[in-house]
Amino acid sequence: MSHANLAVATLLAPLIAFFVALVFFRKKHDVAAGIAILGGLVSLVGSVWLLLDPAPAPELITAPWFEVGGIKLAFGALLDGRTLLMGAVVGLITMCVLVYSLGYMKHDPGKGRFFAFLGLFEWAMLSFSYAPNLLQGFIFWELVGLASFLLIGFWYEKPSAVAAAKKAFIMTRIGDVGMFVGLILLFGDVHTLDILEIGNIFAAPGLPEGVSAGRVELLAGLLFLGVMGKSAQFPLHTWLPDAMEGPTPVSALLHSATMVAAGVFLFARFHELFLDAPTMMTIILAIAVFTALISSTMAMAANDMKKILAFSSISQLGFMIIGLAAGSLFAGLFHLMTHALFKALLFLTAGAYIHEFGTNDIVAIGRAGGRKMRVTTLGLFAGGFALAGVPIFAGFWSKEVILGALHGPGAEVFLIGAYAAAFMTAYYTFRMIFLIVLPNTDSKAIVEEPAGSQGGHGPADHGHAHGAPKAPGTMRAPILVLSIGAVIAGLPFFGDAVAGLLGRPHEAHHAAITEMILPVAIVLAGVALAWLDFGGKKAPQRGIVAWFPPLERALKNRWYIDAFYRKTIIRFVNAFAALMYGAETRGFDGAGDALGRGTMKVGVSTAKSHTGRLPIFVGTAVAVLAIVSLSIALG
Amino acid sequence: MNLESFVLLSLVLFTLGLYAVMARRNLIAILIGIELMLNAASLNFMAFNRFLPVEDPTVGQLFVLFIIGLAAAEVAIALSIILVVYRERKRIDVDDITELKG
Repeated sequence: MSHANLAVATLLAPLIAFFVALVFFRKKHDVAAGIAILGGLVSLVGSVWLLLDPAPAPELITAPWFEVGGIKLAFGALLDGRTLLMGAVVGLITMCVLVYSLGYMKHDPGKGRFFAFLGLFEWAMLSFSYAPNLLQGFIFWELVGLASFLLIGFWYEKPSAVAAAKKAFIMTRIGDVGMFVGLILLFGDVHTLDILEIGNIFAAPGLPEGVSAGRVELLAGLLFLGVMGKSAQFPLHTWLPDAMEGPTPVSALLHSATMVAAGVFLFARFHELFLDAPTMMTIILAIAVFTALISSTMAMAANDMKKILAFSSISQLGFMIIGLAAGSLFAGLFHLMTHALFKALLFLTAGAYIHEFGTNDIVAIGRAGGRKMRVTTLGLFAGGFALAGVPIFAGFWSKEVILGALHGPGAEVFLIGAYAAAFMTAYYTFRMIFLIVLPNTDSKAIVEEPAGSQGGHGPADHGHAHGAPKAPGTMRAPILVLSIGAVIAGLPFFGDAVAGLLGRPHEAHHAAITEMILPVAIVLAGVALAWLDFGGKKAPQRGIVAWFPPLERALKNRWYIDAFYRKTIIRFVNAFAALMYGAETRGFDGAGDALGRGTMKVGVSTAKSHTGRLPIFVGTAVAVLAIVSLSIALG
Repeated sequence: MNLESFVLLSLVLFTLGLYAVMARRNLIAILIGIELMLNAASLNFMAFNRFLPVEDPTVGQLFVLFIIGLAAAEVAIALSIILVVYRERKRIDVDDITELKG
């Protein structure tokens, strides 16, 4: 098959699946699910085939759309290292999530709609990843946001889900405004929408003609606003923990390969441009390190498994952006890839526990016997070890590359921050693992949400009267597949392949054993602390955070950032909206009403001269006509 | 035959029509009056077209064709209005229809 056919099939299959499933089979749940899975399978095969058979130079496969003012617009696919990698990651994760959803959403009344929306999500993300020009990129960037909105608010009868969906949509939109301005300015400067061309323009040594250094900094800053929104970087990160209101498979998709990865991918896509803006890169680096730090601390106090994973997503996204901002395209994208695998895996295991026990609380899951679900717990180990950065697991290698890229003069403070975040990551990950697999009913761990309390919205039929609890086969298979990925995807063999694919073979940083001592020691320190707090037989299972109640409160309230937004920005916006509402109802509407009343009064007063008798009307008309024509005739 | 006789005939027709519109109370009669006035106008057009030296004789004929078409459309609408009035009140006397009175 030619690359063009493969690309078209990859891009169109999810769209067709979405359309057919939503329009014709929304009520026929199993048919809709089958169609969505078929579409996902086509995309998976197509994207992986394209990845394994890359052309020597970037390929452009487009169909013309329209031409205006000498600018040709086309839809299609740009096939180069970055898009091929991203496409395959999206294809693989979506496929796993689709299969998993067969089990997880088995009895949901909106199953057909759910699978259709997953198709929409995959289509949007693939089309965004493969976008050959800014316009297609922007359209599908927004469609990714729309699909997230629909899926986060999937259980729309839950007010909290609706609020979370709106929050995600609006928060990301704040960033998108800046990004849109940035894209328009960028187009004004380089006069092309072609992404490959833009990359080449900025890749050339020195700054492009007619573009000043300050201008590039501005462009980079505006584009980064979009990244900030989508990839949940401080201060636009608050939507992401709330996005947990969606079904768990959605979280798995949203937090690994699609929504949040779109921001990082945008950064990577315009990496040449960002490299020309050194000041902005330092600011971005600071933001990313800060984000990684605060979100890791939040994860240390959370009891909700999905919330812990959400905070870890924010901090891992911070790590990806650290890698990119430190100048290494490979580091950022490699971590994006490994993170997609292990984070999707962790969410799927979380979903399996929640499905079984009807609670998100890790203490409750542990006490209800979470470790008896053997495959799921295996997935928890593989994903958790990868997230924490335990050697030979995927996350270890990619994080190592990021930390390696961060070396250099002036980067010491960022490096310390990144190590601190890595330490906390190991700590909270193992806190989660220990609380689930080593439950201790005598410990001081507090159950915030007892098992079974969420049975309402989850699917709740368990046909296992005997034996250990067990997730359905459709849920176990993706967990196994992703577990393998979480174990091996980081190995140097894959790292070298990805670096070669991205055209950055020199960035595949092979650290000497001595250089690895520090990162490994830091991870082990985090694990050891977690063992003392949660793992050992006499461990209090309360954690160091609980020694400082004000700190624990602050962490549980996410450093009061949400509260701060509510008290300041949201209050201000609401007051402004109330003012505008007054101006609208009393000002504009009042003026309109007054005009209407005046017109009616005038009508009533002039109506008195109307007799309503036709002969008089006609007579008047004839008389006037006669006078007018006579006066004309007489000059 | 000369121009004057045609114009005279047209004048008579027009006056009759005007009288019908102003004096009659029956809606159908008023409609007939309007038709008479339209025909008077058409006759005038054709007469001037025929007897006066005009640059392009088709202009007058075109006018007349348009008037005929317009009259047909007008009759269709007027008759349907009259029908509705009749259904509402069982009468078609113009004196009954005075809702627009102030």
